[in-house]
Amino acid sequence: MLRFHRLSGRVSFPGTAGAHVSCHQGSDTKSPSLLFWEPAEESPPPPPAPRHGLRQLITHCQLLPRLCGAMMKKAVEVILLLFLLVSMPHAKGTRHSPPGKPTLTRCRSPEKETFTCWWEPGSDGGLPTTHALYYRKENSETVYECPDYRTAGENSCFFNKNNTSIWVNYNITVVATNTLGSTFSDPMDIDVMYIVKPNPPERLAVTVMEDKSWPFLRVSWEPPHKADTRSGWITLMYEIRVKLEQENKWEMHLAGQQKMFNIFSLRSGGSYLVQVRCKPDHGFWSEWSSTSYIEVPDYFPREKSVWILITVFSAFILVILIWLLHMNSHSLKHCILPPVPGPKIKGFDKQLLKNGKSEEIFSALMVPDFPPTTSSNFEDLLVEYLEVYIPEGQELMLQESKDLHDGCLKSESSTSDSDSGRGSCDSHTLLIDNCGEAKEEERQQDQERMGVEAQRHQKDWEEKGLNYAHEDIVSPDMSSGRVKTWPSVFSPLPQYSSNPPDQQSSLEMAKQHYLSDSLFLPDSSSTYLTQPGHSTRESLEPSYCEFRLSNKQPHQLHPQMQAHQQLHMAHSDVNISSIGCKQAPAGLQSPDLRSTQYVEVQKVNKEDMVLLQPVGKGCRHIELCPQMPQGDNYSKVKGVNSDNILLLQRGVMEEDRCPCEDQEINGAREHSHTASTVTTTQKPTACIHTAMPVQDEMVLAVNGYVDTAIMCTLPTY
Amino acid sequence: MAQRKINGNKLFMIVLYAVAACSAVPISDLLDRASQRSDTLHSLSTMLTQDLDSHFPPIGRIIMPRPSMCHTSSLQTPNDKEQALQVSESDLMSLARSLLQAWSDPLEVLSTSVKTLPHPAQNSISNKLKELQEHSKSLGDGLNILSGKMGPAAQTISSLPYSGGNDIGQDRISKLTNFHFLLSCFRRDSHKIDSFLKVLRCRAAKLQPEMC
Repeated sequence: MLRFHRLSGRVSFPGTAGAHVSCHQGSDTKSPSLLFWEPAEESPPPPPAPRHGLRQLITHCQLLPRLCGAMMKKAVEVILLLFLLVSMPHAKGTRHSPPGKPTLTRCRSPEKETFTCWWEPGSDGGLPTTHALYYRKENSETVYECPDYRTAGENSCFFNKNNTSIWVNYNITVVATNTLGSTFSDPMDIDVMYIVKPNPPERLAVTVMEDKSWPFLRVSWEPPHKADTRSGWITLMYEIRVKLEQENKWEMHLAGQQKMFNIFSLRSGGSYLVQVRCKPDHGFWSEWSSTSYIEVPDYFPREKSVWILITVFSAFILVILIWLLHMNSHSLKHCILPPVPGPKIKGFDKQLLKNGKSEEIFSALMVPDFPPTTSSNFEDLLVEYLEVYIPEGQELMLQESKDLHDGCLKSESSTSDSDSGRGSCDSHTLLIDNCGEAKEEERQQDQERMGVEAQRHQKDWEEKGLNYAHEDIVSPDMSSGRVKTWPSVFSPLPQYSSNPPDQQSSLEMAKQHYLSDSLFLPDSSSTYLTQPGHSTRESLEPSYCEFRLSNKQPHQLHPQMQAHQQLHMAHSDVNISSIGCKQAPAGLQSPDLRSTQYVEVQKVNKEDMVLLQPVGKGCRHIELCPQMPQGDNYSKVKGVNSDNILLLQRGVMEEDRCPCEDQEINGAREHSHTASTVTTTQKPTACIHTAMPVQDEMVLAVNGYVDTAIMCTLPTY
Repeated sequence: MAQRKINGNKLFMIVLYAVAACSAVPISDLLDRASQRSDTLHSLSTMLTQDLDSHFPPIGRIIMPRPSMCHTSSLQTPNDKEQALQVSESDLMSLARSLLQAWSDPLEVLSTSVKTLPHPAQNSISNKLKELQEHSKSLGDGLNILSGKMGPAAQTISSLPYSGGNDIGQDRISKLTNFHFLLSCFRRDSHKIDSFLKVLRCRAAKLQPEMC
């Protein structure tokens, strides 16, 4: 029996045992129903009335074909529909799907009272999709939908004041819905306090104002009209940017909370662009406001006038400077270009030099009387030194100066010169040299005799000399190994007191012992002339005509002056008596000397003995007085002849000059500073340094130096 | 005797003037200073949360408690401008002080726990926390002085106890999460304080409209 299950769609035919034919129908009336035929799983027990069953079956089966036909038709329709449906998408190429996921892009609140959220829709799935925004506040579970979708534009939701709460967390979700489905976006948590971004400031006004002729820009604006800054609900800070029209770089200025700002240091005639924006205290910067254009007027003329003033002033100052320069041109010239000192040589003719004739120039330079031989200026040049110089420790230097001239003082600076720069003070030339050559024998004899004596007293003298030296000599000089000045007593040896008294009139100061500076050796002795028979021993004072002053201390001259005085005293009575007799070699032994004898100091022998020699023998070159008047005072040193012989003369009467006595006078007195080359001679002949007034006539030695015939000059009396 | 009295009177007057002059710091100035300090406080807290965010596990965001779970959420505060502008000055001051007071303990807990915080920027976070505490303390002192000038209503402080204890978590995730949560709560509360004080400032600066 067929059971017709409408719902199940089963049609079961009871008649057919074991074979159930069931008609199925789709359960859903909306969708096309399909009839499914299937045998029933279980065979329901057949109805008891077979006849009835058959009849029922027959009726059922009579109905069934009709049903089956209808079902068949429906099935066909369904199949067709399905086919169409399937084919349609294939024909179109798209597939309907639920919408894609939207995303919330941003939410903003311009004034902390309202806010807006925007979202980005996903794909719409091919179907018109709608979006909805749902939000939930933090404390409640109630889901609200967005109140305003339009105000803020497309895909946005605007929350007005009533719906906006601050310090409340909003959980916002956007749902995209289409016919196929809906898709939820990721939820977003926002708090109004974090999303504040104001609108740009409004009513920007820029004006040019002047500040002491320098223009500046005054920028003023208003806060965005929605922001309530008055009540302090929102606090805004502003920023301005300015730039020249042509430039690219903006100049930013932070203006704080004020609504007005000044911009300085503008370019005259420039065109500026100004913009302003604002920011809440804890939020985002707004957009830049609309640009405001401003043009700065030219203020060039003002600058120009200043420049004109400056130019005029500087020109004025320049004129003054030039005028001053002109007035002082001469002194300036002297300052900058000092005049070159021209040659001031007498007789030098510049013109000749310019002409270029050298011979004439130099001939003009030649002064006929140079070197001066006349005694025109002798007084000035006179250095009255009688220098007895002992070279190699063997020379005796007798030196006496009438007055310590500067020349003497000068000489001390040239103590170590090897050239002739020495003054006669320290000259090493020997008078001895200049004296005439003594006879060897006599010299020898003299030497022997002298040597004995001298050596004995050598030390005495040395001592004395040393003593004196110590008194006078400055220690530095000593340290240098040179004894500058040697006052030495020129006195007759006591042994010679047996000399006739008149002999003692020999000059006391005739001989002075000078030890050469460099050659002074403590052990070596300088020979010194001793006047035999000179009894004025006690009057023997260390008298030194001259002593080297190392430090130019004039006070050291005092002893000398003293000596001079003494000399004065003495020499009148004293004659130089030669130690060595002149007449005969044997006479050398006897100390007696005739007073009228001339003594020549021939040389200094090796034992440092000054050898004297009578004039008579030695004066070959000179006219000799045939007689020697006795009793005369031979206290005058006439001079030194060309043979380096010291010549004495009678000094009492000026007019009584012997021609022989008129001898060449050594020009020694002229200069004391000259060093004598005679010192190098090996045969020094000591000239007696007598305390004789030096004659005015002095002749220069051969070499022109005084040294060889230096005579100690005393003031004439 | 009379001379002495005159001198005494003079002295008294001088002292009085001095006291008056000294105490005449206007409230607007005090409020200005206070609002500046609260501004700094909020900026610091914002920086802190940003530092923490840089190395925050995503799961932390999921399990993060809601902001309504802040211990200060029980305090009734205005939620929008109309409400805020309707509150009286004293009440606003009271609210600000209460909020500030509520955070002294939690900040202490935070600064002690920061040493164990598993975060790469732990040092800078620690320093900022110290600064935060200092600013908070000085602001509290300033507000105390201010409230003394504003009346008794400003003196009341609602107690908002912190019940989180001294521990911010055992494992790394929970530590970071709790830290972040607390700081976000503080960030909001500091913003509230700042807003209230700025509203008060503008209300008191009637004489200086350019400020507001």
